Amino acid sequence: MKDKLISALAEALEMDSSQIKIEDNFRDYDSYSSLTELSLLAMLDSDFGIEIEMKEFNNYKTVMDLVKLVESR
Amino acid sequence: MGLLSFHNVGISGLAGAVPRHIINNYDYDLYFKKENIREIIEKIGVKERRFADMNTCSSDLCYAAAERLLDDMKINREEIDLLLFISQTPDYRMPATSVILQERLKLPSSTITLDINLGCSAFLYGLTVAYSMVTSGGIRKALILDGETRSKVYSLKDRKTGFLFGDGGVAALIEKGENFRESWFSLNSDGSRASLINIPAGGYRKMSSCETVKEKVVDEYGNIRSDEQGYMNGADVFNFVIREVPKDFNKLLEYSGTNVNLIDYFIFHQANKYINSFLAKKLKLPEDKVPSTIEKFGNTSSVSIPLTIISELANKLSLHKRLLLSGFGVGLTWGTAIIEVDGCYVGEIVEV
Repeated sequence: MKDKLISALAEALEMDSSQIKIEDNFRDYDSYSSLTELSLLAMLDSDFGIEIEMKEFNNYKTVMDLVKLVESR
Repeated sequence: MGLLSFHNVGISGLAGAVPRHIINNYDYDLYFKKENIREIIEKIGVKERRFADMNTCSSDLCYAAAERLLDDMKINREEIDLLLFISQTPDYRMPATSVILQERLKLPSSTITLDINLGCSAFLYGLTVAYSMVTSGGIRKALILDGETRSKVYSLKDRKTGFLFGDGGVAALIEKGENFRESWFSLNSDGSRASLINIPAGGYRKMSSCETVKEKVVDEYGNIRSDEQGYMNGADVFNFVIREVPKDFNKLLEYSGTNVNLIDYFIFHQANKYINSFLAKKLKLPEDKVPSTIEKFGNTSSVSIPLTIISELANKLSLHKRLLLSGFGVGLTWGTAIIEVDGCYVGEIVEV
C-alpha cells in the first residue's frame, strides 16, 4: 500500500517517486499548488476510494500520514 | 426529500446570446507569466471566454436571446404568463430584473415575474419552478431567462478565478405537451459551506464602503482581490463535488427508475475541465455523450448547462431525446434532472 501511495502521489504532484521520502511534508514540495492539490484529492478518491472532508485532509502533513490514511481504509 | 417529478411539461425552445468580445486566455498575460497561464489552462481547460463590456448586463444577453427565441418561434407574447430571471448579476439591487425584462420584451402586465438568485445549479431550480407553475394550470407559456456576467465578479489578479469565468445568457420556453412525457429532479443545499464560494461584501451584511473596494494581497501566492470580488476555495469545492454529485446522480436514476444507458446526453455544469473529466470518469460515462463548452465559453455559472445544450446539441434535439442535467456550485447547492425533449427548437447563438 505504501509503494502504491507513493507512486500515485508522485504522479499527482508531477514528481519522480525517488524524490519522495516518507517523512516529507508533502505541501512543501515545489510542485504542490492549488492545482496539484486537486490531483492529489482526485487520486485519493479514484485510486483508494477515499472521500474525505478538507478539514480532515488539512490535518495530514507528511507522506506517512497519507500512507496511514490509505492503510486505515 | 428534494425529489420532484413532472408529467407532460418541458422545454419547447432554447436560444442563447454571448458577448462579441472574445478573451483568449493564452494572451491574457497582464498579471501573470505566460508559462503559469499555460499550466492553468491545461488544468481548467478554458482557452477562450466571452466578456461583456461595461454597458452590457446579464439581462441584455437574456433579452437578445429571448428576442431571437420569441421571433423565431413566432410566439404570441400575450401567452407568456410567467417570466423567471435567473442570475447573480442582476441590473439593480432593486427592483427585480425580471420586471424590467417584462417591459423590454413587451410582455403583458398579467405576466408573473420572479428573480431566482442562485448560481451553478440554478437552471435546474428554474425548471422546477416553471414546470410547477405550468402544471398548476393557469400558465400557458413560461419564459426562463438565465444570464451571468461573471467577468464583472472576479479579480483578474487572482489566479484561482481570473482565467475561469465567462459571460452568457439564454432563453428557454416552457410549456405543456404530451411529447415531454416524464421528468425528474433532485435538488439539494448545504448552507454550512456558504463561505466556500462567495462575495464577502457589498450586500447588506457588510455594506459597500471605501474599505470593501480596496484591493488586497490575500494569500501566500500573491493573489489580489477586494472584498467585493468573488472568492472560491477550489479544493474544498472540488472535494465536495466529487463526493456529492455522483451520489445525487445515482439517487435520481434510482428515483426515476431510468437505466443510465437510456440517457442520450449528460450535460454537466461547466465548472472546469478537471472537475468535469473527473466526474465523467467516476460515473463511467462515454465521452461522446458528455458535451462540453468549457474550452470556448469557460464557466458561465447557471448559464453553462443550457448554453452547452444550445451550442453542442442544436441539431440533435429535433427528435426525442432523454437528457440528464447536473448542476453544482455556490451555496453550496446542487441538483440532478432527467428531462425529455422532443422537437425542441434551438436558435443560433446571438453575439451581442
